[in-house]
Amino acid sequence: MDRTQVLASLSEIMRDVLDDPSVTLTPTTAASDIEGWDSMTNITFVVEVERRFGVKFRTAEIEEMHNVGDMLDMIASKTAA
Amino acid sequence: MLFNSYEFILLFVPAVVAVYYALGPAHRQAALSWLIVASLFFYAWWRPFNVLLIAPSIGVNYAVVRLLLRVDDRRPKLSAAAFVAGIAFNLAFLGYFKYRNFFLTVSNDVLDTSFALDALILPLGISFITFQKIALLVDVRAGLVTKVRLRDYALFVLFFPPLIAGPIVHYRELMPQFAVLDGRWRSEDFAVGLTLFFTGLFKKVVFADPIAALINPTWAAVAVGGHPALLQAWAAALGYMLQLYFDFSGYSDMAIGAARLFGVKLPFNFNSPLKATNIIDFWSRWHITLTRFLTFYIFSPMTIALTRRRAAQRLPVVAGRTTTLTAFLVLLAWPTMVTMVLAGVWHGAGYQFLVFGALHGVALVVNHAWRLRRPRWWPSVGTSGLIAELGCWALTFLFVVVAEVFFRATSLGAAFALLQGMTGANGVTLPMALIPHAAPLLEWMGLHAPGVWESGSEFVQVWGWIAAGLIVVLGMPNILEILADHDPALGFKVRPAGRTRLLRAVTWSPAPSWAGLSLVTVLGLLSLGRLSDFLYWHF
Repeated sequence: MDRTQVLASLSEIMRDVLDDPSVTLTPTTAASDIEGWDSMTNITFVVEVERRFGVKFRTAEIEEMHNVGDMLDMIASKTAA
Repeated sequence: MLFNSYEFILLFVPAVVAVYYALGPAHRQAALSWLIVASLFFYAWWRPFNVLLIAPSIGVNYAVVRLLLRVDDRRPKLSAAAFVAGIAFNLAFLGYFKYRNFFLTVSNDVLDTSFALDALILPLGISFITFQKIALLVDVRAGLVTKVRLRDYALFVLFFPPLIAGPIVHYRELMPQFAVLDGRWRSEDFAVGLTLFFTGLFKKVVFADPIAALINPTWAAVAVGGHPALLQAWAAALGYMLQLYFDFSGYSDMAIGAARLFGVKLPFNFNSPLKATNIIDFWSRWHITLTRFLTFYIFSPMTIALTRRRAAQRLPVVAGRTTTLTAFLVLLAWPTMVTMVLAGVWHGAGYQFLVFGALHGVALVVNHAWRLRRPRWWPSVGTSGLIAELGCWALTFLFVVVAEVFFRATSLGAAFALLQGMTGANGVTLPMALIPHAAPLLEWMGLHAPGVWESGSEFVQVWGWIAAGLIVVLGMPNILEILADHDPALGFKVRPAGRTRLLRAVTWSPAPSWAGLSLVTVLGLLSLGRLSDFLYWHF
């Protein structure tokens, strides 16, 4: 799966989590850009991403992801290995 | 050595700064070692025995860190065992000194045992020092820290500005700064550092201490069974909230300022917390480095683990407006309560701290529930607009004041006695001169006939200080905002929307007009007569 496809599924997951069909993520999107994306939503989002992609993040890694781009990198490095 | 003592301000800091910059870039290694020696001296000043108490903790932690770095992922079992042992050691260390008597008291109360309580010496700053060590172990295990040398480690755990009461700083925040620290003189660091330091001193000696002196008699009275009247009780509660804010944020400013004298930026601890308009907002502005620590090391790992488990079982998780009650209780309410109760007893070993933590836990849970449910249940209820914001602020403020009654009280009984006074159950007292004017109002409020507040001048002083304090904390930008153009603290930024006209007018710059600020320094120094220690130095 290439980066664009991964990004598309991230958007889809976030739309489900927030129950808001208007959400579209870009690599530069940060939590503060999306209404309702608080720390709790973030955890739900991350766990859903883990399930969908079959990866697992450490707590520290989750805290270090500052925008969607960071998450794309993290997923890429985990699925490549 | 207290931050607000003549020997610290006029001897210790100048000496440390002078030697540090005299060694300078030419003797960089010696300059860094000098900071370690000076910090040890600072820590030993109060009670040299403290150093001996804290030394084993430093040694053991360093050994565990080295072990974790050496074995890393190749021997996961050994690594996990060392990690767990390290955390357990730190908790046991803290537990023995801080909670031994509390556990014995609980046992005496609940199980009717009769353990004798010995007075234990609490090593200075033990709660903060323990937290920083735990954080380092977790960060090393998570791979966020990959190299730790003995001298860096010693400087991290001993660096005197944040040593006793924070800000709770991470190794990964300080180490990159120590790595490039060269002992070169930079005027900006010095100007910003001194401005922060003396503003902090001003908050402490010009606001916190005088307010404390005025309200302490009421607190002393409730501790021995007194029943304060309405206005005394409110003055004690409001005054204490202001005292605690000025005291602890003043201390934090001084710590951040002192570190900056050496070119080191510490994370910030306060951001006008009493302006918060909800309780989640409050905790993102009050003792920020503690909130961050608790979120990172307790709340998030717990919630992540629970969310994973529920997701694996295909059970609903927290998902915005559609969150189910069970998901909310298991994934948000439960971890929040655990975190806040721990936060409460971290402050001190006593039932009243437990209640303080639990109250804030409940408030946070209610706040989260409101956030998730309001858009669905009350879509038309707005939270913007002046009236709504004022209401939100008042509710938050009132809650914080009430919860802090438990924080200040020496026992649960004393807290309830004060709260009872705040409801008006013990009547009202007013200065003689005011009674005729206030009588109709009080009658309308259904309060019984006023007694006499004996000293009219004391009444004016108490309420004058409270009014002045409230104007400062609610009406003025905080010192970090004023210094925002000069990176006052790690990660501190003022959002464009936060740049109010008032803030633009009082933005600090190294210009002659700001030399007037030295008045703050002079007033601070002149007020140093009575020494009183910082509230958070006891935790």
